[in-house]
Amino acid sequence: MRRHARELGVTAVLLAILATLALVAPAFYQTAPLRSLLAREAPTLVVACGMALVIIGRQIDISVGSQFSVCSVAAGLLAAAGWPTALAVAAAVAIGALWGAINGALVAGLGLPSIVVTLATMVTLRQGLNLARQGEFVNLPDQVQWLGLSQTAGQTLILLVAGAVLVGLAWALRSLAAGRHIYAVGSDAEAARLAGLRPRRVTFAVFLLLGALTGLAAAMNLIQSPQVQPLVGSGLELKVIAAVVIGGVAISGGRGQLWGVLAGLLLLAVISPALTHLRIEAYWEKAIQGAIILLAVVTEGLRRRAGGKGAG
Amino acid sequence: MPRRLLPVLSAFLGLALAASAADSRLVVALMPKAKGNAYFISVKAGAERAAKELGVDLLFDGPADTDAAKQNEIVENWITLGVDVIAVAAENKEGIATALRKAQRQGIKVLTYDADTLPDARSFFVNQATPAGIGNRLMDEGARLCAGQGEFAIITATLTAGNQREWMKYIQARLAEKYPGMKLVAVRPCDDLKDRAQSEATALMSAYPNLKLIMAICSPAVPGAAEAVKQAGKVGQVKVTGLGLPNENQRYVKEGVTGAVILWNTDHLGYLTAYAAVAVARDELKPGAKTFHAGALGDFQVVGDNILLGQPFVFTKENIDQFNF
Repeated sequence: MRRHARELGVTAVLLAILATLALVAPAFYQTAPLRSLLAREAPTLVVACGMALVIIGRQIDISVGSQFSVCSVAAGLLAAAGWPTALAVAAAVAIGALWGAINGALVAGLGLPSIVVTLATMVTLRQGLNLARQGEFVNLPDQVQWLGLSQTAGQTLILLVAGAVLVGLAWALRSLAAGRHIYAVGSDAEAARLAGLRPRRVTFAVFLLLGALTGLAAAMNLIQSPQVQPLVGSGLELKVIAAVVIGGVAISGGRGQLWGVLAGLLLLAVISPALTHLRIEAYWEKAIQGAIILLAVVTEGLRRRAGGKGAG
Repeated sequence: MPRRLLPVLSAFLGLALAASAADSRLVVALMPKAKGNAYFISVKAGAERAAKELGVDLLFDGPADTDAAKQNEIVENWITLGVDVIAVAAENKEGIATALRKAQRQGIKVLTYDADTLPDARSFFVNQATPAGIGNRLMDEGARLCAGQGEFAIITATLTAGNQREWMKYIQARLAEKYPGMKLVAVRPCDDLKDRAQSEATALMSAYPNLKLIMAICSPAVPGAAEAVKQAGKVGQVKVTGLGLPNENQRYVKEGVTGAVILWNTDHLGYLTAYAAVAVARDELKPGAKTFHAGALGDFQVVGDNILLGQPFVFTKENIDQFNF
């Protein structure tokens, strides 16, 4: 139990909010709006899972928001140019993987600090996109939305994909050698190298995977509305990093669980609709989110001082 | 002999006259914030029409992307070129003032439009919309859509953005003054993100079952709210209006999800700016003027050194097809 204290703590806070809503504002639990809100958060969960892997591996990627925008706009333009939706989705994943590979190559290959590398790619991608689109929306052909399915089926599919990514990666982290290697490299790259692992490969792989997942997430978002705003994904990096940290992943690497990340993201995501339903002014939103992040970081600091650095 | 020379001479004379006439053609330099932007392309179209009517030359140049430093560079080039009058949509209020003052010292007349610089760096500002005009029009259109009755919510960019707060102030004043049957139940921010506006609108509709109207006062929120209403199956039951661009809202306006989109007419903004620039250059428009006549568009009010484009324009199902920006 102690080992998962952080994850359990976050889950408890989330459940408390959900219980309050059930008592005070039961309208929150209407099926259709709730499914819509969850489908809107599903892409963020996919990026957060990828980010968790990168952070467990003791790196960080602050360019995901820009990658998300570029993948969205590129896939949108391809769909608008008449590409079949499936190919546009594949292109989004491929472009995301490409940027992930570039970040990974710069960090792992040249040994540059990931925060600097991804800051550079973040700015480059965002400004390049601004230059190319000038903020103009991309209008998508009708068949892109919900992949031509009904709205309910489309949203359900999006939720299933996000669930599959979460469960699949959680299983891989726990049960595959490659998953354990991420923890090992994140805990102590030098020790991992001496033990025969190849830390650079692991680092490259987590960036590549995060890029591909960001592309997938962009596609999952793209099919939920008939037009793409080039600003889409702006601020996404902060949201996913916050979700990962709140969810109990150690920012110093080597520790974390994906179910904690799920709880962290849901906690962050529930605040805004909860305030709307509880008729609390929106001014409180950022303050509450900030307080939750602060609490997470402080408990993390206390845990480290207490010396309890487990492998997850 | 002289009789044969005469036509030649007169031809020469004609040519010389034509050349001097071409030299004296007024040159108006018009700068957008970003030249590829559809909004400013529409401004340019209006300005070109005015230039044609007035028989002046129009230069249209600006940064490819919004870039305050590049704007200064272009002003410097125009000074070297010796244009007669410059009209700028300033990316940075203070940043461009020095270059514009320099132009004024060289005898070039300077105006601003769309976004102002410091007052001493230009003679007039062509003001596309006052906060009162926008706030009142938004509230009036919103009330019209739900017949003056019911609960409504506002989606803004951020709770702290200066212009949004200004508009809110006038919306609330108008509400208190004219629409006792309406009630503002919530104000939610969307960080200028269409997708976030969609989530906010979804939550608003489930939290307030009697909601009759969503008023989106930042442009990405208008299509975001409309998509949420459509996905919730509440088209007609919950109306949408807001401040936005025609292209981003066209599909929702045509489908009847969004009742009205409010913005100024950018083509008219360009037309008025070009007319005002020429009038200033020709000393026909001077400080203290109360009205200004701009060709086919008629008279405009001048308040201090602001030339007012007037009431915001309302895009509806009937007219939205005519606009492309």
